[in-house]
Amino acid sequence: MSDQRPDFHAALNSLEETTLSMADKVEGMVAMAIRALVDPDKTLVTRVIADDDVVDEIYMDIRSRWMNIMARQQPMGRDLRMMAAILEMNNTLERMGDQSVNIARIAGLTAGLPRDEIIQAKLQEMGDLLKPMIRTAIDAFVRRDADECRLLPAMDVPVDVLNRSMWKHVVACGHDPQLLEWATRMILVSRALERVGDQAVDIGEQVAFLMTGDHQEFLRLHDYGSD
Amino acid sequence: MSTRMESPSTVVEGTVSPGPSAGVADSAGSSAIFEIRNLSVYYGSFHAVAETSLNIFQNEITALIGPSGCGKSTVLRCLNRMNDLIDGARVEGRVSYHGIDLYGSAVDPVEVRRRIGMVFQKPNPFPKSIYENIVFGPRVAGWKGNFDDLVEESLVRAALWDEVKDKLENSAFDLSGGQQQRLCIARAIATSPDVVLMDEPCSALDPIATYRIETLMRELKEQYTIVVVTHNMQQAARVSDRTAFFSVDVGEKGQRTGRLVEYDLTDRVFTAPAMKETEDYITGRFG
Repeated sequence: MSDQRPDFHAALNSLEETTLSMADKVEGMVAMAIRALVDPDKTLVTRVIADDDVVDEIYMDIRSRWMNIMARQQPMGRDLRMMAAILEMNNTLERMGDQSVNIARIAGLTAGLPRDEIIQAKLQEMGDLLKPMIRTAIDAFVRRDADECRLLPAMDVPVDVLNRSMWKHVVACGHDPQLLEWATRMILVSRALERVGDQAVDIGEQVAFLMTGDHQEFLRLHDYGSD
Repeated sequence: MSTRMESPSTVVEGTVSPGPSAGVADSAGSSAIFEIRNLSVYYGSFHAVAETSLNIFQNEITALIGPSGCGKSTVLRCLNRMNDLIDGARVEGRVSYHGIDLYGSAVDPVEVRRRIGMVFQKPNPFPKSIYENIVFGPRVAGWKGNFDDLVEESLVRAALWDEVKDKLENSAFDLSGGQQQRLCIARAIATSPDVVLMDEPCSALDPIATYRIETLMRELKEQYTIVVVTHNMQQAARVSDRTAFFSVDVGEKGQRTGRLVEYDLTDRVFTAPAMKETEDYITGRFG
């Protein structure tokens, strides 16, 4: 079988590679933002913000090339599904980058405040759960693995559970105004991490669509009947 | 104004068609106007199309696509027995139209072609006036009615009336290519068919004329069933409700036989086809 549209497919492959490089960059940003929560070194915060500028440039570049390919090549079939998946993933990855910036900025703002060990441990646990989720989503896309991406909703459940349990620990910090300020900001971090988990699942849904052609929303926490 | 010829009733002398309800329906409730079963077409010893089965549904646009030599035009021509006019052509299998075997011994091919009109790749108006192009067929068929009304109604339906109403006596050759093709469509529908077959109707037209014809096709499907052969996949994707993809098998001696690979809703065929062969074709990975 020969390729009758080599220029188009080269452009599409290049767009996919750029999307993967963006995914790798965002994966690193999330990891750095989580580390910044416990690491007093502010260079991590600076790096996350700087990397987000790069991600925003990639985002605009992908959008521009995407429009160009659609206008010139009118893709169909799995090429069309790839284009749809790339557009969705581009949006999702850009938002994941923004969430990383939110977390890093809060880490910078709260660096001098007292901390609650339980909350910190739970945020760390959320981070530890998110890293393999993001990797799974990216790997499923690279490997075109519709089964692997279906693991993501279950991986997201403990992240959601941790997020929902966070407020109780924040309330327990009410006796100390400075600790309460830190804990209140950590609610925002928890929420940002929970969103990153959802966004990893969103990428998984795009992989499933790419492979099956069916738009499907994976089961989320509330579908599992959890609190 | 009503200048329609008698409602479609029969293509068989002395037999009343059971009507559209006789056809099978798909899951969406559409009625099949054609039921094609195990259709094979030969030109002499050349096997042009191998066993093909599909239903064509009423008031839909069905596109037949595929590479050169895949038999899509051959299948189209089987739907109004145009292949009868080719020496050595032989059809096996069954093509039912409103439940009647189109190739049955009692079927009148001329009547078939009146019910099932055809528009060709290159506009082919008669060397006559615009008016005469419309009335020629009905007049030959012995139709008794108001020809002026018939001309107006046919040209209105073909979206050509406003452009030619003041020059009906002009030669059809004075029209542009796109207008000539719409005149041919008007001529086809003047005989009150219920199916219009189109064999690459836009391949000789510029993009604006093409879009005009495509818009017209969508309007016409409210009243007619349309089957279109096109090389232009984007056109099939734009206008059709269902798409049949044909491919071609090449034998040891280089003989090429067309084969139906996939037939489904157009939305599905161009976004997530079931067959890898279809996917490879529409994404340009073949050959």
